[in-house]
Formats: sequence, C-alpha cells, structure tokens
Amino acid sequence: MTEPIVQIRELTKIYAQGEIQVTALDHVTLDIAAGEFLALMGPSGSGKSTLLHIIAGVDRPTSGECRVQGVNVTRLNESELADWRNHNVGFIFQTFNLIPVLTAAENVELPLLLTRLSRAQRRQQVATALAIVGLADRAKHLPRQLSGGQEQRVAIARALVTDPALIVADEPTGNLDSHSAHEVLGVLQSLRQEAGKTIIMVTHDPKAAAFGTRQIHLEKGELSA
Amino acid sequence: MTLPTFILKNALRNKRRAALSISSVAVSLFLLVTLQVALRELTLPPPSAGAELRVAVRNKISLTNPLPVRQRGIIEKIPGVESVSPFTWFGGRYKGELGMSFAQFAMDADKLQSVFGEAKMNLEGYERFKATKDACVLGKITADKYHLQVGDSMTLDSTIYPGSLTFHIAGIYAGTPDDRNMLFRQDYLDESIGTPGYVGMWWLKVKSADDMAPVIKAINAAFENTAAEVRAESERNFQLGFISMLGNVKTLIASISTVVVFTLVLVSASTMSMAVRERFRELAILKALGFRRRELFAFILAESFGLAVAGAMVGIGTAYALYTYGNISKMTAGIFVSFEVTPRIMGVAALVAVVLGIVSAVAPSLSVARMSVVNGLKTLD
Repeated sequence: MTEPIVQIRELTKIYAQGEIQVTALDHVTLDIAAGEFLALMGPSGSGKSTLLHIIAGVDRPTSGECRVQGVNVTRLNESELADWRNHNVGFIFQTFNLIPVLTAAENVELPLLLTRLSRAQRRQQVATALAIVGLADRAKHLPRQLSGGQEQRVAIARALVTDPALIVADEPTGNLDSHSAHEVLGVLQSLRQEAGKTIIMVTHDPKAAAFGTRQIHLEKGELSA
Repeated sequence: MTLPTFILKNALRNKRRAALSISSVAVSLFLLVTLQVALRELTLPPPSAGAELRVAVRNKISLTNPLPVRQRGIIEKIPGVESVSPFTWFGGRYKGELGMSFAQFAMDADKLQSVFGEAKMNLEGYERFKATKDACVLGKITADKYHLQVGDSMTLDSTIYPGSLTFHIAGIYAGTPDDRNMLFRQDYLDESIGTPGYVGMWWLKVKSADDMAPVIKAINAAFENTAAEVRAESERNFQLGFISMLGNVKTLIASISTVVVFTLVLVSASTMSMAVRERFRELAILKALGFRRRELFAFILAESFGLAVAGAMVGIGTAYALYTYGNISKMTAGIFVSFEVTPRIMGVAALVAVVLGIVSAVAPSLSVARMSVVNGLKTLD
C-alpha cells in the first residue's frame, strides 16, 4: 500500500478567547490516500474548517503533527509554508475570492507569478486550466461578468494551475444554486478521476458529499465516523 | 499579466481615491516647493554684478539713523575708495497706494554709473539724470507695471518726509537683480526738505577686491567715537544682515513647511491604510496562494510609492513650470522678482515624496504581516 498523502497524528487545536479556551480539534488522527476525494462533514463549529486549514498550511495546530507528502507542515516557518502552499496546495473557497479587478485569466495566473515560468508558459498553463474547467471562452471576463458557478470554476482553475497534488475546498458549493453546484462538483470529480488529484472538501451538504470517495464526520473536534 | 500590471490595477481600482491621493500629494508638494523657494529667495538674494567691489556704510546704531553729510569727504579720501554716493530711503507712495510696491532712494546722479554700473540705461538717460534736478531713473519692472515712459512725471507722497515730490523720468534701467527701484537726486531731496545735512547711508565702490577689507576697516575706524559711528560692510554682509531681520518669517515658513509635510504623511498613511484594509481579504487570499510577507509588502510599498511619486511629478512639475515660465513679479504683485525652483529644492521635495511613499506603506504592511490567512479570510468584503 502506498503512503498516504496526508498523515494527521493527534492533532489538537485550541483557540483561546480571553480566559475561555475552545477546543476546535481534539487529538484527531487521520490518513488520506493520494487520489482520494474526501468529504469532510459536520455541524458548524465541529472543527472541519480548522482541520482543512491546518492541512493546507494556513493555520497551525496547538499540538500534534500534520504531514502532507511527507512534509511536516506544522514545522515550516512562514516563508517556507508560503512557498510550500504555492507548490503543493490549491485553494477553493466558498465565496470564490477572485480579485475583482483582474480578468478570469489573470486571476488564474496569480499563483504562477511566484514561479520562474516565462510569460508564454504561464499563458499556456492558464489556458489549459481554464479549458479543464470549461471556461476557455471566458478568459478575458472580469469576475462581475461571470455567474457564481463560473466564478467558482475560475477559482478551481486557479487552484489547479500550479498542478498541486492536493486541492482543498471549503464549502465550494455553499454559495451556488443546485445546477451550478452540480457543475462544480463534476469538475472536482473529474480532476480526481482524470488528473489523479487528491481533494479534501468541507461541506454541509450530503448531496455534495456524495461526490466524494469517502466521507468523514467531525463532531466537537473529534472524528465520529 | 506581470507583477507591475497587478500593482497598477490594484492602485487604480478606485480611480477617484487614486486621483484624490495623487492630488493631495501634488498640492502639498507644490506648496512645499513654493515655500522653500520663497524661503530661499528671502534668505539668499541673487548676487549682483559689481557687488564684490561695493561697500555699504550705515549708522552703527541702526539703519534708520541718518549719517552726517560731512562724512563723505572723509570717506572719499580713504585710499582704495573709487567713488561714494549718498543713498537715502524716501519711503514714497505712488498714486495713493497703501503699500509700497517699489523702493525709492536719493543718490548722487554723477555716481550712478560708477557705483551701480550693472543698472544699464542708454547714455541719454544718464545725461538727463545728471542735468535735471527733479529727474529720476526707474527700474524696468516698475516702469512696465505702471506703464511709465521716459519723459513722464510721477508724484510720490513720502511717509518719512513732509509733503510730496514730483519727478520726471530721465531713463529706465535694467540689468540689476531687482529692476524695481527708483533712484533720484539727493540734492532734489535736500532742497525740498531744507538741506538738513544728513543722508540715509553711503554706498561706495572700491578700486579692487584687495581694497575691500582695508577700506572697511579704515571707514569704521575713521568715525569711531564720533557722534555718528558707522558700520561699513560688504554688500553681501549688508544683505545678510538685512535678511537676519526676517528671522521670524524664516521660522514661520519653516514651520508651515513642517506642518505641510507632517499633514501629508498623515493623510497618505491614512489613505493607504484604508486602501489596504478594504483589501484585507484579498491579501489573505494572496497569502494562501503562496505570496510571502515580503511580496505583499512590496505590493503595498509599490502602490504607495507609485501614488506618492505620481503626486510629486504633478506637484513639483507644476511648480517648476509655473515659476520658471510664468511672470513671477505679476503673480506676487511685485514681492518677488525671481523665484527659482532649484534642483536642490526639487530634490528635497522628491525626497519627501519617496519618504512619504515608504512611511505610508509601513503601517498597512505591518497589519498585513501580522494577519493570519484564516483571520484575513473572515474579513467582510
């Protein structure tokens, strides 16, 4: 059996709000295999987004270990972590989070500005990413000229343009109608099936979770199933 | 897309704010340049040709105390002295004006060419000045201002002496650093006020630069322990002494300049903070995508710097164009005849803009550096 792409051991996250301490994650241990489409479910405040953020290297645990592709991300400093994120993780957010003054192509190109690729190479990769999500003809549109579903697909293109092994999605369909949600989930599914990407998706929606290859539930910071 | 394109798009995303920011920097730097040039003009009057051979002799007590006429003969006998002329402030007002837009001095018509040789005029003008008691010569700026020509008469009401005097313009001169003054004959003034035997001060010319120091020393010594002790000094020192009386004005201008710069920093820092705060969420996304603190700092700095430099180009450029190609005498109602925007002043203003760009970027950059991606993403749009 191949080594899991994500290995989480005894991960704990405690938020201190004044004198009150809130345990968001309580000794979570979890393995995620390469090529999995994991749906992370649970009620609000269960710690699923916190877990996703720690895996993606944008938050740090109070204790425990999180290894992604063998790298213990909890040990990396700010600069190393930024570099690691750029090369290894693609982000998809609930509110799309595209830069409003940039076109779809320019938004997708953003992570590539940190690489040594030439302008022509960047254009090529952007065109490929937009083609994968079916928006090649919308490259020059600004976010406000796109529908919600199209905006989220641009965000997916931005997440995969650096060809990361891991894509994390935080409620990617939360702001979409059912038709658009279906389209977006279809794109994520094909990324797993055709490109072998590992996808971790936080969702409340059982229908969305059904697109995953595995579902896990978090309850009060602990894995419940 | 390139990083500069990205920065430019961000800076211009709110065009009205960008325009207002650039305008505020431009107006402030225009004001700063104006104040600095004014300060320079007040404290460093342009050197006059022939000044290195000219000596001013005034009453040691004060410039307003007169000197006895008998001193002239003594001064003329001092070795190294070429020519001496009285120089008496008349304090006249023309056409009932409340203020004085040009100065008038009584002097010896025969000594005009030798003492103030840089005042260029045709020979007929000099001859008329020497030949006619009520003649005067007028600086070109004043003549142009009042549309006066040779042969015209002008009447001045003195604020020092009783009554008024009417003069006939014998010539119009140009070529001095300040072609505004009016010069008329001391004997005309003496006659009108009953020959009091006093003059305002003496201006004299020495034969060579080597004579300057000994002549000054000799003049000061000649009248020591007399009823009218004098203070002789080079023209340059006399000007600097005159300027030192503007001490409070200098402090005032320096204070206003400081306030301008300080306010500018506050306004720009506040604008940049606002611009960055509005984009906190986007900056958090950039962080999530792999942009490091130093890259985000570079974005903010470039934007802040760009706005400051754009404002500086507009402000300094406008000041330069206005004061270089405009009629400064007309603009300042004759207060300034030259208003030179020197490379040094432009450099200082540009440096202020550079510092402004950097300082304005510091606070927002620190907030962004401290911001975690998770907290930044929670920021409302």
